[in-house]
Amino acid sequence: MLKTLSNRLQKLFARDQDNTIQALDAAAVEELQLTFKTRYYSFRQLLTANTKTLESMAEIEKALQGVEPFSFSFVQKACGTVSINVFNMIKHMENIAPNKYNALRDSFASIQSRIDALLNQKKDLSDRRLVIPLESITSDMMDVVGGKMANLGDVKNRLRMRVPPGFVVTAAAHELFMNTDGLQKEVDRLFQVAGSDLDRNLDLVSSQIRQLILAAEVPEPIRAAVHNAYEKLKDKYEGPELHLAVRSSAHGEDAENSSFAGQYRSELNVHFSQFFHVYKQVLASKYSPQAIAYKINKGFRDEDIAMCVGCLAMVDAVAGGVVYTRNPLDRRDDNIFINSTWGLPKAVVDGDTLCDLFVVARDEDLTIVRQDVRDKDFQVVCYEMDGCIRTETDKSIAKDPSLSESKIRELADAAIQIEEYYELPQDIEWAITEDGTIFFLQSRPLQQMEATLPAEELNLQRFAASLIFEGGINASPGTASGGVFKVSKKVDILQFPEGAVLVVEQALPTWAPLVARAAAVISERGGFAGHLANVAREFGIPAIFGVTEAMDLVENGELVTVAADLGRIYLGSIAPLLEWKRPELTPMKGSPIYELLQQASRHIIPLNLIDPESRDFQPQNCSTFHDITRFIHEKSVVEMFNFGKDHHFSERSSKQLHYKVPMNWWILNLDDGFVHEVHDKYVKLEDIASIPMLAFWEGFVAIPWDGPPAMDGGGMTTILFRSTMNTALVTGSQTKYADRNYFMISKNFCTLSSRLGYHFSTMEAMVSERSVENYLGFKFKGGAADFERCLGRLRFIQEILERYGFRTSINGDNLDARIEGRNMEYMLERLKILGYLTLHTRQLDMIMGNSGHVNYYMKKLSGDIDQMLAGEHSCAV
Amino acid sequence: MQNNMEKQTKFKVLLVDDEEIFREATARQLRVRGFTVLTADGGEAALELVQSDPPEVVLLDQEMPGMHGSETFAAIKEINPLIEVIMLTGNTSVDNALELMKLGTFDYLMKPVNIEELLYKIEDAHARKQLIERRQRSGSTTP
Repeated sequence: MLKTLSNRLQKLFARDQDNTIQALDAAAVEELQLTFKTRYYSFRQLLTANTKTLESMAEIEKALQGVEPFSFSFVQKACGTVSINVFNMIKHMENIAPNKYNALRDSFASIQSRIDALLNQKKDLSDRRLVIPLESITSDMMDVVGGKMANLGDVKNRLRMRVPPGFVVTAAAHELFMNTDGLQKEVDRLFQVAGSDLDRNLDLVSSQIRQLILAAEVPEPIRAAVHNAYEKLKDKYEGPELHLAVRSSAHGEDAENSSFAGQYRSELNVHFSQFFHVYKQVLASKYSPQAIAYKINKGFRDEDIAMCVGCLAMVDAVAGGVVYTRNPLDRRDDNIFINSTWGLPKAVVDGDTLCDLFVVARDEDLTIVRQDVRDKDFQVVCYEMDGCIRTETDKSIAKDPSLSESKIRELADAAIQIEEYYELPQDIEWAITEDGTIFFLQSRPLQQMEATLPAEELNLQRFAASLIFEGGINASPGTASGGVFKVSKKVDILQFPEGAVLVVEQALPTWAPLVARAAAVISERGGFAGHLANVAREFGIPAIFGVTEAMDLVENGELVTVAADLGRIYLGSIAPLLEWKRPELTPMKGSPIYELLQQASRHIIPLNLIDPESRDFQPQNCSTFHDITRFIHEKSVVEMFNFGKDHHFSERSSKQLHYKVPMNWWILNLDDGFVHEVHDKYVKLEDIASIPMLAFWEGFVAIPWDGPPAMDGGGMTTILFRSTMNTALVTGSQTKYADRNYFMISKNFCTLSSRLGYHFSTMEAMVSERSVENYLGFKFKGGAADFERCLGRLRFIQEILERYGFRTSINGDNLDARIEGRNMEYMLERLKILGYLTLHTRQLDMIMGNSGHVNYYMKKLSGDIDQMLAGEHSCAV
Repeated sequence: MQNNMEKQTKFKVLLVDDEEIFREATARQLRVRGFTVLTADGGEAALELVQSDPPEVVLLDQEMPGMHGSETFAAIKEINPLIEVIMLTGNTSVDNALELMKLGTFDYLMKPVNIEELLYKIEDAHARKQLIERRQRSGSTTP
């Protein structure tokens, strides 16, 4: 239909040009206006969609740096926003140029289907067993039993070390549980409702989901399988009544670079009568606020994590702890670090108490190079019937070493074997029974960090006056400063300001969600083997523990500097200390969400269609969304310019500008370009409402023209020569359309076709408050002088335009200049510049052979423009 | 700018969302800017309003209990094809979104919605409606 309309119009215009028919009737003007409005509308929408697409792409690229956390819903949203807006661009392009670029739809569909395939993929479990005994588990079964139990299976079955007997309730069981009675669907719905507000509603969403899980029945097949495994375990078990340690063993839980440290529930000393209740609690802990926050921060999808549950015969420990096979705080240190306390190892892991540290060298004798024996005033022990209890340690042994030297070496020796087996530093949990038997309860990869120590030349003495604490435990290396924020209750979590220094009494896993948002962490209690320390290291947040009376030492809001490697806290912000920074961590890299976004982005981000002049610049060659946007953007601008070029109009449908005198400027109002109806054949400047046209005109009349420049030698001959070739240039034989200037305007839009002197230029501008839609295009062509001189002038104008922020290119004797997406004020200034140049570059091709003249005019023109923009000239004609 | 705003914003918008907090907050923001705002908490209520008090533009939540956003969209278009519909969504499969776009939804916005962006979209949707109406009056048939 547009096509027929424009054909009709062209015919009308053509006839008009032939002077056969005098006027367009009112209906035709109405049609022209409507055509314009439709195209103008689509063009604006297209530019908005283009900007939106590019913004989303920038967001994706930023996410792919891997520093900031993002979730699956971010991936969905970012990819979705790109798809929708690219699709919008195609639709608007179809309105502007119907049936011209149909292949775009096919390109879009094939790119979209590749992205869909990535976003909709699901993994299938092949092993459908609900319960598997520990004796038959190896590390090849990660998918089925979770990382923690798969690794422990290796320690037991391949390394033949002592591990308590037990079994695992598998991923298949978890799937069965969640799919019974639509539980998973309901969980998905709750997440969806929370949407992007999840951060704020974390506690609410978490408790809703956990209640759902706790209220559900454990399906009968799982009950039967567990009963069966438990009976077999009991038959083999020697000792007093069998109790179980029930531990989470989730997917991804113990993977390298994401330990989910302490996020999930583990229950110790569980009586079998309580088992299924505890089982559900462990499943529910997948949705604890810490776990959800951690998942978001590390980029796991809900469906990426199956909650397998390990059940081991409970070891009644007299002492226990964690071995690090290397120094987690310093990659260059290969000593073995043994953290140990009285009672169950839980006390070390929970970080609510101090513990002994034994450091062992990897030499022949396993020399103990360091023994820090602390006052272990509290310990965790098994409670008689069920569960365990935090209790005061017998005063007579609280300050004694919790390990003998021979046990220290035995542990160190086993640790080295385990590390050699995995070929990676390990974090190993262990327990010792009354009779001295060592049991291994867990082994997972240990993340090591680079130490950040001050340059040797830095004299720390300078800051001694600001030192408020020293001798703390370096739980996570680095230095940082920020305002103090003390947290003692859960409600404080909500108030925690981004970038504050978190100060707590105990290094509890509860505080884990705050760590990623904190500048640094200070705790009165806890050691570097605790969960919170793990989390801090994982996110690269400096942390100092063992800061006695920290809660009284600093005030809320007070600025402090935490130098974890020195174990020191300073008052204020100590710049030289803050300069020792580690390379930025990229916790997202390697996570399933990250991989997904990276793969999807390959169909979105790369730009293959670069050169619009190339023969490959075709819709069917678009292989990414970026290609499509690039193609459409280029073509839409061309099509819009064509509107001005294709639709010449008669002076009867337009008005002549009356500025002091009737001018050779003709104006067609396309929409709301006049302040009111104009019935006269002249339109006055004050009748015009077109914002871009008024700005252009202001520049045009700002400074009077000095008249044609004096010609350099040869200039005139050339003009005379070319004038004989081109009738349009010969005075007296001009056609009706030569040397006239045509504006088509609406309030925020204006095109100009202008023939001034011996050159031809077109300008198109769209300017409104909506910066993203703003557009200014300028084309300049020809001249009376020879090609060299014309080109000289093109380069001259190009240089000026670039100086004021235009993007320009020259093709043959065409100069093309553009500005997009800047604010209104900026755009209007550029329009003034174009107005000024339109007048003042007349016949400048004449002097292009003389560099002195060129320099003179370059200086004059830019001087004028600067003055004009500074407001020193206003309508000085 | 101020005049511009008043001139452009005196038309009726229907906001359909089951989530009361979002619905009321957004309605308030739109009213402050001069729109006449009708609200509905679900598809059925929305259709009644479309019949009895037709709006120019509908903002329609995709995920609602009961009558789903997509169904509601189809029903609105059946009653009055000229009404422009902007879909709002928390987190949805693009498949669905693209299907609806092909069927003529004006645009798809992801929650949380930036209010300025929403205002522009409403104005743009209204502009399209007026264009199409004007074209129908002048006897053209292009979409």
